[in-house]
Amino acid sequence: MCLLGLRDTGVGKSSIVCRFVQDHFDHNISPTIGASFMTKTVPCGNELHKFLIWDTAGQERFHSLAPMYYRGSAAAVIVYDITKQDSFYTLKKWVKELKEHGPENIVMAIAGNKCDLSDIREVPLKDAKEYAESIGAIVVETSAKNAINIEELFQGISRQIPPLDPHENGNSGGIKVGQPPMQASRRCC
Amino acid sequence: SCLSLPSSWDYGHVCVFVGLPESIVAAACSRSGRRVLHVDSRSYYGGNWASFSFSGLLSWLKEYQENSDIVNDSPVWQDQILENEEAIALSRKDKTIQHVEVFCYASQDLHEDVEEAGALQKNHALVTSANSTEAADSAFLPTEHEPLSTMSCEMLTEQTPSSGPENALEVNGAEVTGEKENHCDDKTCVPSTSAEDMSENVPIAEDTTEQPKKNRITYSQIIKEGRRFNIDLVSKLLYSRGLLIDLLIKSNVSRYAEFKNITRILAFREGQVEQVPCSRADVFNSKQLTMVEKRMLMKFLTFCMEYEKYPDEYKGYEEITFYEYLKTQKLTPNLQYIVLHSIAMTSETASSTIDGLKATKNFLHCLGRYGNTPFLFPLYGQGELPQCFCRMCAVFGGIYCLRHSVQCLVVDKESRKCKAIIDQFGQRIISEHFLVEDSYFSENMYSRVQYRQISRAVLITDRSVLKTDSDQQISILTVPAEEPGTFAVRVIELCSSTMTCMKGTYLVHLTCTSSKTAREDLEPVVQKLFIPYTEMEIENEQVEKPRILWALYFNMRDSSDISRSCYNDLPSNVYVCSGPDCGLGNDNAVKQAETLFQEICPNEDFCPPPPNPEDIVLDGDSLQPEASESSAIPEANSETVKESTNLGNLEESSE
Repeated sequence: MCLLGLRDTGVGKSSIVCRFVQDHFDHNISPTIGASFMTKTVPCGNELHKFLIWDTAGQERFHSLAPMYYRGSAAAVIVYDITKQDSFYTLKKWVKELKEHGPENIVMAIAGNKCDLSDIREVPLKDAKEYAESIGAIVVETSAKNAINIEELFQGISRQIPPLDPHENGNSGGIKVGQPPMQASRRCC
Repeated sequence: SCLSLPSSWDYGHVCVFVGLPESIVAAACSRSGRRVLHVDSRSYYGGNWASFSFSGLLSWLKEYQENSDIVNDSPVWQDQILENEEAIALSRKDKTIQHVEVFCYASQDLHEDVEEAGALQKNHALVTSANSTEAADSAFLPTEHEPLSTMSCEMLTEQTPSSGPENALEVNGAEVTGEKENHCDDKTCVPSTSAEDMSENVPIAEDTTEQPKKNRITYSQIIKEGRRFNIDLVSKLLYSRGLLIDLLIKSNVSRYAEFKNITRILAFREGQVEQVPCSRADVFNSKQLTMVEKRMLMKFLTFCMEYEKYPDEYKGYEEITFYEYLKTQKLTPNLQYIVLHSIAMTSETASSTIDGLKATKNFLHCLGRYGNTPFLFPLYGQGELPQCFCRMCAVFGGIYCLRHSVQCLVVDKESRKCKAIIDQFGQRIISEHFLVEDSYFSENMYSRVQYRQISRAVLITDRSVLKTDSDQQISILTVPAEEPGTFAVRVIELCSSTMTCMKGTYLVHLTCTSSKTAREDLEPVVQKLFIPYTEMEIENEQVEKPRILWALYFNMRDSSDISRSCYNDLPSNVYVCSGPDCGLGNDNAVKQAETLFQEICPNEDFCPPPPNPEDIVLDGDSLQPEASESSAIPEANSETVKESTNLGNLEESSE
């Protein structure tokens, strides 16, 4: 399954991914250089969900995200910074973009990161919850730094992802070329 | 959102305009540690290499009809140019697309079951060439700051003969502006007739056939399912052993894309579409070929695989065309036709014996790598490919900025080098190298340039040109030129599993080198293969032809053979990329990119494999790849489709 991360630059999306995948937090993780995919498997009921996380590699910075990021994604995590009201406005723009251009049944999750800094909070949790409800999204406040709610975020997504239907969409048989040895596969999700 | 860039930034390179070659160079430079800024005034990736959803395509069309964005704001940059500098103004309006014409045959009525589109008379919204010329002319009016586009005007007057409405297909109305607004502007190339207008003026026919209809697709359905479409401006395929596939694999950019094999090679002979046997298995299973023909063809193809080894077989024939050469071989006319048009994919006059043998060999060489034909098509369209390279560029720190236009290049008078660009906000962005697509240059930059043109048509149809058990076929069909001076037409038919069209429809791309306008070049072929969509159930052979729901014609400029020397006074650190060429493969773009990369980063490896992504994330500092992956090119030994849920393995680099 695919997951796509969107964020306003600097809200800590990479840190979330890093915490989730490697249970590790780096204070100086600055820009998302070199990262393109990360994977992690999460048990969910009887199934194992393999998250394939696409980092947006900074292309979102000037609102120039390529549509290829949406292709076949099952879920999107949109991260804002609870200490920056602006990042919450930007988040709404991303939601709109996703609704307009993304896959129709994409699961959306809103993550208010840096909840360890709630003394300088600008975005009330209530606002986020109301907004999330209005768009049918999962909402959670996280701290990549203190490992708060990161697992919960991904488990929440995992629960909402519909089971794979191999007959759906004629979605099968895409060829991957290159290393490792070529193999045909279903597009994620 | 404010897109202004921090003014203190300077970059290793600046790319303007995001086509495929530029994206490859950007990825390669970024990969080699250069700082890359990719700027484009458009809101989408890929320039003329882009693909669009249906609504995206409608907005693209609208852009070409609107003059609004060429209204002049006084240039903010002029007072910024210092005494020791001069400016090269960049063109604000893209002039690479011309003669845009749209036809809608699908019922545009919003209340289904009320109106029969087939009953509409042809007095509606018929585009005559004369009108479209005038319209196109005014739609491409230059701005005050750009000299008149003599090239494109010449093209317009020279290449628009007076074909009247009698040549035109029956048109039920053309609606190009999306579901809500109806754009009516006599300066546009495309007529618009709103659904409302039509229902007022046109008698509504009785629904004479009361049976339930299958495959009934309306315009509003196309609009509704618009996201399912990914309509390429450029129609190309990847040769499974071509330069682009090799580059995708070498650089590991291939992990960002998925492909489908083209499933059929088709030929059009005596009014019939038939499948061309090209692999050994195809030849033996073919029902159209006699036993004798099968042996002849296998023998000839086996020879072509290693033709260099048998010089005696072709030495005497080097002066003649491949067409003449084939006649001297032990091949029936049937087989000669197949080899010439569908395997070598050339024409009677275009190729010498050696070129034909090379093309045949290349075709055979590409067979079987990923499937039964030599070609691959990217899921979601060719427009994914520039995006994949852009992603690679971004992953290595490249910065992307769409909707950001560049007004001019700033050239230092003394060194004759370009120092910076000035963007729409009047801000300078300093860089060492500048990569510019040629469409950004206004006409006074070059002299004696005669561009070629590509004629393109895009059709949405309701069934395949050749029906088989499976409705999920991807086909390429070459229709040979009929008259001297015209060119063969390449038809690529995509099914919905390529993620380029909605279920129950096919997306058909027609391409040829222009001799006239796109519609004049391609409509004869369209009329041979398709019929306009009607709701009528006609009980005859005609109905077996696929029906066109929607059609678009346009010409695109082909600048691929314009050399750097055509440009006057180009600073040495400004590099020019051409737009798409007319060829089937992408070799031209890759060659161009590699050459430019070598000029910018001499002696550096072109797109080496990246390190394992999971290695990099652990430690943000050690970005240098260990290049542990083998560069061996894997072969298609696992032809069988393996349904694997362990998708991660496909994405991660091998250890």
